[in-house]
Amino acid sequence: MLQKKICMLGAFAVGKTSLVRRYVESIYSDAYLTTVGVKISKKVVQVDNSEVNLVFWDLYGEDDFQKMNWKHLQGAFGYLLVADGTRPATLEKALALEQKARAEVGALPFVLVVNKCDLVNDWQFDATLEAQLVARNWAILRCSAKTGEGVDEAFAKLTGKMLG
Amino acid sequence: MATPLQMFSREFGYVLLEHKGEGNFVLRSDPPSWFNELWGATQPGEALIPLAEKSPFLESFLVEAQTCWSSSKTAKCRSEVWIESTAAGREVPLQATALHRDAKQLLVLHSPEAQYREQVRVFQTARNAVLEHEKLLREIQKKEILLHCIIHDLSQPLSAMRGSFDCLSAESLSEEGQKFMALGKMATQQQESMIRQIIQVFAADLQATMDAEKEANHAPDLLACARNAITSLSPAFAAKRVNLVLDPQIDQQTSWHVQGEESRLQRVLTNLLENALRYSSEGGNVTVGLESDGEFRKAFVDDEGPGLPPDLRPAQMFALFSKGKEGGGKAGLGLYFCRTTVERWGGSISCTSLPEIGSRFWFRLPKAAAPAEGEAPPRELLSAVGDPRPAVKERRAMRILFADDQEDIRTLTSYQLERSGHHVRAVCNGREALSALLHEHYDAILLDEEMPEMSGVQAAHAIRENEARGSHAFLIALTGNNSEDDKARLRREGFDAVLGKPFRLEGLTEILDAAGSTLSLTSLPKKPPATTSAGIDDLLGRIGGDKKLLSKMIRTFLRDTPKRIAALQKALQRKDADEIASLAHALKGSAGIFLAQHARDRAQELEELGRKSELGGATAVYAALKEEIAKLEENLRGYVKEIQVQPRSTVSKPTKRLTGKRKKR
Repeated sequence: MLQKKICMLGAFAVGKTSLVRRYVESIYSDAYLTTVGVKISKKVVQVDNSEVNLVFWDLYGEDDFQKMNWKHLQGAFGYLLVADGTRPATLEKALALEQKARAEVGALPFVLVVNKCDLVNDWQFDATLEAQLVARNWAILRCSAKTGEGVDEAFAKLTGKMLG
Repeated sequence: MATPLQMFSREFGYVLLEHKGEGNFVLRSDPPSWFNELWGATQPGEALIPLAEKSPFLESFLVEAQTCWSSSKTAKCRSEVWIESTAAGREVPLQATALHRDAKQLLVLHSPEAQYREQVRVFQTARNAVLEHEKLLREIQKKEILLHCIIHDLSQPLSAMRGSFDCLSAESLSEEGQKFMALGKMATQQQESMIRQIIQVFAADLQATMDAEKEANHAPDLLACARNAITSLSPAFAAKRVNLVLDPQIDQQTSWHVQGEESRLQRVLTNLLENALRYSSEGGNVTVGLESDGEFRKAFVDDEGPGLPPDLRPAQMFALFSKGKEGGGKAGLGLYFCRTTVERWGGSISCTSLPEIGSRFWFRLPKAAAPAEGEAPPRELLSAVGDPRPAVKERRAMRILFADDQEDIRTLTSYQLERSGHHVRAVCNGREALSALLHEHYDAILLDEEMPEMSGVQAAHAIRENEARGSHAFLIALTGNNSEDDKARLRREGFDAVLGKPFRLEGLTEILDAAGSTLSLTSLPKKPPATTSAGIDDLLGRIGGDKKLLSKMIRTFLRDTPKRIAALQKALQRKDADEIASLAHALKGSAGIFLAQHARDRAQELEELGRKSELGGATAVYAALKEEIAKLEENLRGYVKEIQVQPRSTVSKPTKRLTGKRKKR
């Protein structure tokens, strides 16, 4: 069976762990529990009649307290770049992480997930910036780990990019 | 018998393994319970455990460990903490240490449970604090946006409204007209008062305010607020020919007192009604209704507009800067204001498309007990109607350039300044102001701070940069940002004076008077009267002293001019530049005949604006022209009366004519 390592990158509290839990276990909790260290999860998916074992490396969010250990990206086939649509600074962090990742491990397939799209009243994702990124062929999806909206599509898109 | 190492491992939750190649290990100590939970029960011995296969993290760590194991020296390397999940979903923090001892590739696994939990607790606390801080900043930002909304969207029209009512006060109004003017003044004062109150709310401790608002004594009557909102917006609905009604099915016996504050509740209703009006067509109906909803009271506004866009969720309608599909709203703040206000009072707000046509915007608020008798909040807002218009003093005439993107402010302020004897050129933005300055010198330049294309500050910079040595244009900033800091900032930007919006004409004239006493004013020609007896005498001389012909000319003028003025107003409303130019041209000719120089100048100015299709300041010029024409008409009527009186004593012709008519009958 094919095994693909996928890393979750993004600022803290953007919902990386929640997205993985939603996708792997169909579970969501409203409580924010910070991740310290690396959480490993697996999910076997069917792609074109073949089984693929997706191994998620849910990395802690980079901030003043924890810096990314870029070694964890070694061996990854792709990564999900996660931002919080209600916190514009997390998108800037995501953009910086993408640049750094490219410098560390080269160009890997990735998908930008703008999470928490259920919080429409607090939504502050800059549509102009989104258009600019789309123009640069970025795959961008608005998701909600809470409602599940767009989650399967985001992981499926990344899987497709990794296998394609 | 357990070795000391095995005993230590068991006691402290460590497990010792030896790498046998390709990610396979054998146990060298008794495994702790977490090991068995994760990877199955195993006893120390020679059984191979494919740990790299079971743990992707360990598989990755083996690359690093291999370096350590390959070293000829005694070495060790340690992994970061990672988390594995048991079959039961329990998360187990782990840390691996690779050791090279006695040519053996050893791996120690440890679950630093307590240390990990403590680390999580510390990080969780720190990150929660950061998130709280971010949330607080967002709340502050929301308040700032709301203040911006209050200052710019609510305050700015006040200048126009107040000024209009002042001007109307000077007119001879019918009793009915006075009633409407009083209503308008009352609404203006209500709005001013509401703005003050909201600003106070933001300045005060929010929680304390919220607590105070929950007291039943301050519970506003939703039905009364609905009625007031309908009354205040009736003229706007009438102007668009949209019917605005209160639902006749409202239960009048029910107590409609709710949590909240009266003026803001009324503003919520007004915003919803304005929204309904925006999307209503001529002949449409808008209904305000109230319903009981358990422990809540619900208000709704139904319209017959296009309904909600199918792809839009109701919550999005009330989001910050959200506008309707056709961008009908001004800044996307009105409905946002409604949501934040209603939610603060413990209510909710939403909207839905109606089954057949239109949409329903509704909100509900917790019901509250009616205020005790005599304890209702003072309603001084509703009683005061306003001051009589202060008399306009004669002032030193100045040439004033006035730039403001709001047409109503432009028109009204220009009109008022003209009435004060000044000569005003009104333009729409800083760029047009700079263009005007190329052609003419102005004694004072009023610049609105926020204008499209070029702001007042940008224009001020450009003016100052291009000033010749020794010259100094007198710049006045008009700003909705009324704090002392903002005023000081604008002075630093190059303004000589700053006037906060909404401003009273008196404030502006005080500044202009002060400036006028110190500035070397451009010599303005003394404003000519609408016409003079000398002008009529001159005309009489030009037509050979034929008073009959003069009288006929005057009557023709008095008959045709009101029609032209009315046609001109309609042309302005249609923005028909050619028609404006044509009518202004005709009026210029008529005024010129009677040597009404000022009316002629205004007509010429309007004609030029029409020819250039630059209708930005046309309304202001039209207002001034209309005033001059009115004066001319008054003078001419006076003259006609005079020449009708004169013949009775000196000339017999009019009497004979009257007699003749009687005979004919």
